[in-house]
Amino acid sequence: MKRTYLGEFEEIVLLTVAVLDGQAYGVVLMHEIIEQTGRSVRLNQVHSALQRLEEKGMVNSEMGEPTNERGGRRKRLFSVTAYGHRTLQEIQEVRVSFWSRLTSPLKLSV
Amino acid sequence: MKTQPPILADKLLKWFCAPHLLENIQGDLHEEFEYQVKRIGVRRARWRYWWEILGFMKPRYIKRKPTQYPTTYSYSPDMLQNYFKIAVRNLLKNRTFSLINITGLAIGLVCCLAIGLYVWDEYQYDRAVPQFEQTYRVTERQKQATGLYDIAVTPGPLAPALKNDFPEITETVRVGAWSGLLQYQQTAVEPEAMRVVDPSFLSFFGFKLLKGNPQTVLSSPDEIVISEAVAERFFGKDWRAQFILGKTIHYNQERPLRLSGIVENAPARSHLQFDVLLPFKYFELNDKWSYNWGSNNYHTYLKIRPDNDVAAFGQKLAGQLKNYDKGNETPLLLQPLRDIHLYSDFDFGTDWGKHGDIRYVRIFIIVGLIVLLIALFNFINLSTARATQRAREVGVRKSVGALRSSLIAQFWGESLLMTSLALGVGLLLLQLLMPFFNELSGKVMAVPFQQPLFGAFMVGLLLFISFLTGLYPAFYLSSFRPVSVLKGIFDKKSGAGFRKTLVVTQFVMSIVLIIGTVGLYRQLQFIQNKKLGFDKEQLLYVRLKGDTRQKAMTLKELLTKQSSIASVSATTSTLVNMQNTSYIEWDGKTPKNEFLITQMNVDADFLKTTGMTLAAGRNFSPAIASDTSDKFGTYLINETAARRMGWTPQKALGKKVNFWGLDGKIVGVLRDFHFRPMNVKIEPFIVRFRPKEFYFNLLIKTRPTQTQRALADIARIYKKIEPNQLFSYGFVNEDLGRQYAIEQRTGQLLLCFSILTILIACLGLFGLATFTAEQRIKEIGIRKVMGASIASITTLLSKDFIKLVLIANGIAFPLAYYGLNHWLEDFEYRIGIEWWVFVVAGITAIGISFLTVSFQAIKAALMNPVKSLKTE
Repeated sequence: MKRTYLGEFEEIVLLTVAVLDGQAYGVVLMHEIIEQTGRSVRLNQVHSALQRLEEKGMVNSEMGEPTNERGGRRKRLFSVTAYGHRTLQEIQEVRVSFWSRLTSPLKLSV
Repeated sequence: MKTQPPILADKLLKWFCAPHLLENIQGDLHEEFEYQVKRIGVRRARWRYWWEILGFMKPRYIKRKPTQYPTTYSYSPDMLQNYFKIAVRNLLKNRTFSLINITGLAIGLVCCLAIGLYVWDEYQYDRAVPQFEQTYRVTERQKQATGLYDIAVTPGPLAPALKNDFPEITETVRVGAWSGLLQYQQTAVEPEAMRVVDPSFLSFFGFKLLKGNPQTVLSSPDEIVISEAVAERFFGKDWRAQFILGKTIHYNQERPLRLSGIVENAPARSHLQFDVLLPFKYFELNDKWSYNWGSNNYHTYLKIRPDNDVAAFGQKLAGQLKNYDKGNETPLLLQPLRDIHLYSDFDFGTDWGKHGDIRYVRIFIIVGLIVLLIALFNFINLSTARATQRAREVGVRKSVGALRSSLIAQFWGESLLMTSLALGVGLLLLQLLMPFFNELSGKVMAVPFQQPLFGAFMVGLLLFISFLTGLYPAFYLSSFRPVSVLKGIFDKKSGAGFRKTLVVTQFVMSIVLIIGTVGLYRQLQFIQNKKLGFDKEQLLYVRLKGDTRQKAMTLKELLTKQSSIASVSATTSTLVNMQNTSYIEWDGKTPKNEFLITQMNVDADFLKTTGMTLAAGRNFSPAIASDTSDKFGTYLINETAARRMGWTPQKALGKKVNFWGLDGKIVGVLRDFHFRPMNVKIEPFIVRFRPKEFYFNLLIKTRPTQTQRALADIARIYKKIEPNQLFSYGFVNEDLGRQYAIEQRTGQLLLCFSILTILIACLGLFGLATFTAEQRIKEIGIRKVMGASIASITTLLSKDFIKLVLIANGIAFPLAYYGLNHWLEDFEYRIGIEWWVFVVAGITAIGISFLTVSFQAIKAALMNPVKSLKTE
């Protein structure tokens, strides 16, 4: 099966877009990822991930309403495409099948 | 109030970020900033903002989105190639126009460059002198009875005294003029410019010593330094190879001088011209005129320290003379070296340097600019006139997306191309015409192709001229609206007003130049033909030198016997520009009517030889005892002198005067004659009869048509009497003419340039006429079909142009009158500006322009209407 390669960070961004369900845009995505993963993320990383995802056809975007805190600028709202959904699902399936074949469950070392 | 993120950071982002991403990114950044301000405070939020922005400096965000529509860069090689191709095609398509354009501009440039070289050369004088800027000449402003006189000479002791008293002065040098005969073995040479100088002369002016010791040269009394040219005359072409230093050269056959150095020939661009240098030392010891404060004989030059205030120094210097010479209130002035060549105007012939004249330099600059301007106007006129032909091209270019800026660039480029061609042709012509121009200007110049400065100047000129010529066409052509020009609605009259103005201006300038030239020539002719008060024809002079002066009378007697000679008179002067003035005392003199009088000593044959006439009284006579007395003087004065003394010619007879300390009486009054150039009024003159004093010249009147034989006779007799002296003579006529050399040269140059200007202006007119005839070809065809005559069509086409020339005449006349009047004011004796000069100039301009225009008009009128009407 041939599918588009998805980087680890891209996968997280794609998942976050799916979670936020139509309300996803740069800053919100960044905060969400920081909150959920605890890693430090810079805005440009989020933006380039989103651009790459869009080029790959996993998300699409549309311009939203301007808000005051953005100095009257519009936000670009992202949503996951069907192809994106399928990709996420495939990744999930692959991982689940691997986990299920694990003979001795992993011990948490922490 | 809301806290704003750092403005500078925002600007940076706006600059590098691709426009289509900017809104989103900046929005996110601002939102984040607001959040961070609440979380960590303004200061850290700002730092973070910067940090975030720097994160976006990646190709991904910088790269611009390609636009949907393709654009062509205006200056892409393809477009440039296209512009060039179109330009060349246009050049070739309108060969006549291109030729007229380029030739006109090329001629204009040649004139302008030639004048530029001339003016440049005039300003290059003395620049080779070390510390040029700090070098000055000391001059005097003497107060005499008749006014203030500027004198270039100062007393001999002045230079060392100043050097001693003013620490500001670093160096001084004295230069005096001298003359005499030099002899080495059998070769005798009479130098043209013998100078008496201090030892510092060579280093002061930076003249190179080719042989001799520069440290010691000219420091002892009996030395002589000669120039290369004189060395060649004494020792032959190979003087460099000979040991000539230390040889003895005799001065005036008596004083032996030791040759101590050979100096380079005086540079052409130096106001100081010399061929022999004598040490000042000798004169300091032996010549009382050189160590006295009472006489002014030397040019005093000095250099002052660079850090000194010249104005302050000048003020200190001004009143200095009375400290040296009691009671002498004459102020001393400083003349900068840079001004000596062009701005010297000194009285009594005290400045013997080689000089230019700033007035004529100014005239040339103006003429050069006029010629260039006329050529530029031609170019602009023809380019705009042809605009109709280019209108469609502009329309098409604009509709396929050309910006106005790229059209402007295109047309400017075209004028750059044309100007380059014109400049190329112009430089070639200049190189070819250089010998001719050198002859006209009396200079030795070459086009300095090797100098980088010249190259840079040419590039500058090229850009400047193409900027000027391209300015109007570029903006005019590029302003066409594609909708109207492509539809064929085109205002054929557009720009016509502008073109007419330019044509009128061209002709105004040409006509002014023509009138100026005619006026100048008439004045020159007037000067040369004006009755001088004596007969200058067949009059020559022979210089008497050294011992010959004692033998003057013997020589005179022998010469008088020759059948080729009508009469001979011994005199002290040659009647050309006499300036030897003194005071005179007479009965009834008061301090108020005091004046300076010019004098000369003659013999009894003076009147006969020169053809002067008496208004009253009698001539000198050797037969009357009182005339030749040692104790008592006998004088002739001129009418002006009699009038100034308050007498009529009749009353003046027998009156007592005291001149040069000798009492005497007036025996006759001479009719006024001109003894100075025509820029000066006739002043008082006194003729002395002192046969026992020295005479310096023999004035000789030859019989008509016998001049050549007379010269041979004189040479033969002179040789017999004085075998060791060189025979030198001149024609009074020629010497008189030489006084106006600079005016004559200017006249010739002006004549050339005014012919050229009218030529260029007509070239432009020819172009415009051709263009109009082409444009109205259908109209002419229809008129002919309807029965118009050739004459009426010619008139129709010509009258517009002739009207312009008429207007130009109207404007030019007052301008020319003013200019010519201004120039003529320099002459005390001058022509009146007569109306017919204007008429002639006007008719000439109209005539030439009519010929030019009607050539095209008749050609158009003769055309077969079938041909012009059958095609559309």
